[in-house]
Amino acid sequence: MAYEKILLARDKGLATLTFNAPERLNAVSRRMIAEIKTCWEELAADDQVRAVLITGAGRGFCAGADLADPDRDREASATADSGAALEKYFNPVIRLMRTIPKPIVAAVNGVAAGVGMSFALASDIAIAGKSASFLQAFARIGLLPDGGSTWFLPRLVGDQRARALAMLAPQIPAEKAREWGLIWDVVDDAVLMATATEVARKLADGPTMALARVKGALAQSSANDLSAQLDVERDYQRELGRSEDFKEGVAAFLAKRKPDFKGK
Amino acid sequence: MEETPVLAALESGVLTLTLNRPQRLNAMSQPLIEAMIRAFSRARDDAAVRAVLVTGTGRGFCAGADLAGSGTGAVGVDGKPDVGAVMDRLYNPMIRAIRALPKPVVAAVNGVAAGGGANLALACDIVLAARSARFDQAFVRISLIPDLGGTWFLPHTVGDARARALAMLGTSVPAEEAERMGMVWQVVDDAALMDVAGKIARKLAAGPTRSYAAIKDAMNRAGTHTLDQQLDLERDAQLELGRSADFKEGVAAFLAKRPANFTGR
Repeated sequence: MAYEKILLARDKGLATLTFNAPERLNAVSRRMIAEIKTCWEELAADDQVRAVLITGAGRGFCAGADLADPDRDREASATADSGAALEKYFNPVIRLMRTIPKPIVAAVNGVAAGVGMSFALASDIAIAGKSASFLQAFARIGLLPDGGSTWFLPRLVGDQRARALAMLAPQIPAEKAREWGLIWDVVDDAVLMATATEVARKLADGPTMALARVKGALAQSSANDLSAQLDVERDYQRELGRSEDFKEGVAAFLAKRKPDFKGK
Repeated sequence: MEETPVLAALESGVLTLTLNRPQRLNAMSQPLIEAMIRAFSRARDDAAVRAVLVTGTGRGFCAGADLAGSGTGAVGVDGKPDVGAVMDRLYNPMIRAIRALPKPVVAAVNGVAAGGGANLALACDIVLAARSARFDQAFVRISLIPDLGGTWFLPHTVGDARARALAMLGTSVPAEEAERMGMVWQVVDDAALMDVAGKIARKLAAGPTRSYAAIKDAMNRAGTHTLDQQLDLERDAQLELGRSADFKEGVAAFLAKRPANFTGR
């Protein structure tokens, strides 16, 4: 698939996916979400890629589903099923983001609304520019948060704030989002891409298997009791203890030099 | 004999329920809880009710179970006190009714919310607190555990570490700290509390009711779901909502850049 609505770049283990409909604040058309899905499938299958950075072109990060998309109209009037687009495109994308065995960094460069906010929350490490903002816009058009946000929100900010964010749909500035633990960090707009790229680069050069198992363990922790989680940690640690990167990490630590991880 | 332990008034789609035992800081007697349960049944069945606002008369929001009166229940079949029986019959059905109500519930916490009173507040979807209000998990002082959902609400709002400390130390939390912790949504100056709470409740009462009901259901179930299960839930709920009159109106209003006129259908 030739990408029109996204950009994909690769640089030594780091892939950068850029939502690219800046004239629409990167609102997600049918075409764009199809491309995003294909892109994640491509990245999941590419062993050379060890970390992914996502961001938006222009002023916005992603304004959510494009309500003015003519393809969406055709599809919706044909089926009257707003669940179908979730089943076919959006949910597979969120599942891929959470299960892809590589870390994902989001550089939130502007407004992240609706499912655009879900994309940021589904990332492993979200860093926002100071002028960015977050908005669960769904209730404004009679829907509920999707893209996993009804799961992410209570886990990130607690049950009380989650309900208010979903029902009252207030716009949350980046600083507030960091204070509440919605995102990892906020930096000046001018240094956002440099900072996020540095973090993603560090992860791309890191022990990929361990980072993948971190994702796996955290995914299970939310539905596990502590006892079950201790078993998960034991199993993953056993597996990682046999990796080349573990051997390299210990050797580098003992020799007081920087490790050279290969992601194996 | 108390006349009206809970005052109920319906205006602009908002059913306001006022705990009304000010001489006891609105401590929960059995008639009070029975009145709350009846009021939430009405809220569920009456289509004219599109949001509920819970508050208290006088200085306090709710001082918890009325230990001096009828709040703690009776003697069990084994001849020993049975606090569990009254929870089964009254307290827990009240909390379940709030969480299951397919309409948003706002709490305006006008003063101290202690013991079961604190957790009655936390059961509401959106909690506003007066600056002078306090949240007090007092149970450990009388050798009980937080009830009315307290052991669920606390870790799900403030995290495991704070939840354990609050429950074990029985620390009284001032409103501003409760807001910082995420235990409540917003602190408001005492004088402005009812005004702000009324505005939010009216906004919700004029909003897409089915959307709020779906949000409540999704949040209620998020706690025990995996992300995978939750994505399926969102898909099914969105399918339903996508066929609602309010969704059609919401999209039309968005595209026309005008305010939406939701009807709750």
